[in-house]
Amino acid sequence: MNAHDEHRANILLYLDNELRGQDIEDFLAHLDNCADCRRLLEEERALSNLLHRTRPLYTAPEPLRARIAAIAEQPATFGDMRESKHKHLLRFGWRNIRRSGFRWMALAAMIIFIVLGLTLVPTVVRHAEAATFIDTAVTTHRAYQENQLPLEIRSNSPEAVTAWFAGKVPFQFRLPSSQSLPGGHPAYALTGARLVKFRNENAALVTYQMKSEAISLLVASDKSAVAAGGDEIRSGSLTFHYNTRAELNVITWSTHGITYALVSSIHGSAQHSCMVCHQDMADQGSFK
Amino acid sequence: MFLKPNTPPAADADIVGVEHIDGLYSYALVLSRNRSEAEDLVQETYVRALGAMGRLRPESNMKSWLFTILRNIWLNQLRQRRTAPQIVEMDVEGINAGIGTKTADDDDPYALYASTVERNQVREAIQQLPAESREIILLREYEELSYQEIATILDCPAGTVMSRLARARAKLRALLSPTLLTTVQSRKEVIE
Repeated sequence: MNAHDEHRANILLYLDNELRGQDIEDFLAHLDNCADCRRLLEEERALSNLLHRTRPLYTAPEPLRARIAAIAEQPATFGDMRESKHKHLLRFGWRNIRRSGFRWMALAAMIIFIVLGLTLVPTVVRHAEAATFIDTAVTTHRAYQENQLPLEIRSNSPEAVTAWFAGKVPFQFRLPSSQSLPGGHPAYALTGARLVKFRNENAALVTYQMKSEAISLLVASDKSAVAAGGDEIRSGSLTFHYNTRAELNVITWSTHGITYALVSSIHGSAQHSCMVCHQDMADQGSFK
Repeated sequence: MFLKPNTPPAADADIVGVEHIDGLYSYALVLSRNRSEAEDLVQETYVRALGAMGRLRPESNMKSWLFTILRNIWLNQLRQRRTAPQIVEMDVEGINAGIGTKTADDDDPYALYASTVERNQVREAIQQLPAESREIILLREYEELSYQEIATILDCPAGTVMSRLARARAKLRALLSPTLLTTVQSRKEVIE
């Protein structure tokens, strides 16, 4: 495979955000000089755009949704016993269960007690882990503002900062370009980044400026960092968790094996915080 | 955890994992190409997920886990059919024509019409692909799973995901070339 073929093979990887570090730089440099690859990239992008416009491919019918909701609603035990009970419920419905009398009620009460114990304990642990990540993000943001954490790379180029982190953190991520408001002005500007520690692992601190506001983004592997609790805002398949700590607003979310915490002093409700950057953008209607 | 405490369980959004129901149903349909089978697959997936939820670690990727469960159920059903063959009704035309999907253009009749036509063309093209291509297109382009997540679900190396995806996209691009051409022309007309 010669260099040109190799770059052609990278077209899909680039479109799917699977190219990392120096490979992105090399690919973009090749693209500048290769009309053939630019045409192929546009063809692949057109196909992707067409497919994305037709999401979801199919919508689950309402009766199926109702059945799934009913499955989740039933009190249950654990393991195989729970599975077989649900299968039974699905097959015969509620009426048959009621006929079997009072002993079911006693069993159900015991089952509810066990399930509550099994479900609430992981919830408490998860929320405690999420709080640790939020507290770390706030502490890091304060330290950055007070010049105790100088940036290790100063750049407004998402590609340069992404490339700088390659091999330095135990996950792979790519910074998006700042979306523009009408008139071509970026909503926020990248200022730089540095490495920080979270639970003995390297995490990424990325800093932005929005007018006079400093914004920081703490990025860690979801193996060590959890996003949970707070007010929830849904956008597509993502759930954002909105919290406040010491007059700072923190929005956390997890996707593709990475957990993010965005810290700023922008005031307002959870939805309003999202709208600060997204109010004039195409996706503003997707924050619910 | 399947339910959040103190919330009405019937509300879809309040049930963890239910946000993936459209994706799971789409995956089940591209695997089985049969509506009732797809519904059974999704239902069985949630039943098994509920049964195994206690073993799921908090940091686990629930979406990938649900898709893996669905695929395993499907593969088990295929194995059982090999030992006890039975006739399976293929209702590809039905699934493409009969299932509506809400769009952002519901208030604009022309946009709704154009979007419906485009969606049906895409569905038909995908259903013409071999099973291996159908599922990889669904997992990547519709569910936006990473190559590594897809590799885990399909139980194959990430390199195999890349090569299968490239083949699937090439076939799909050929099948959808008239639709893609129409899209490009429409955009040129809008610009001019």
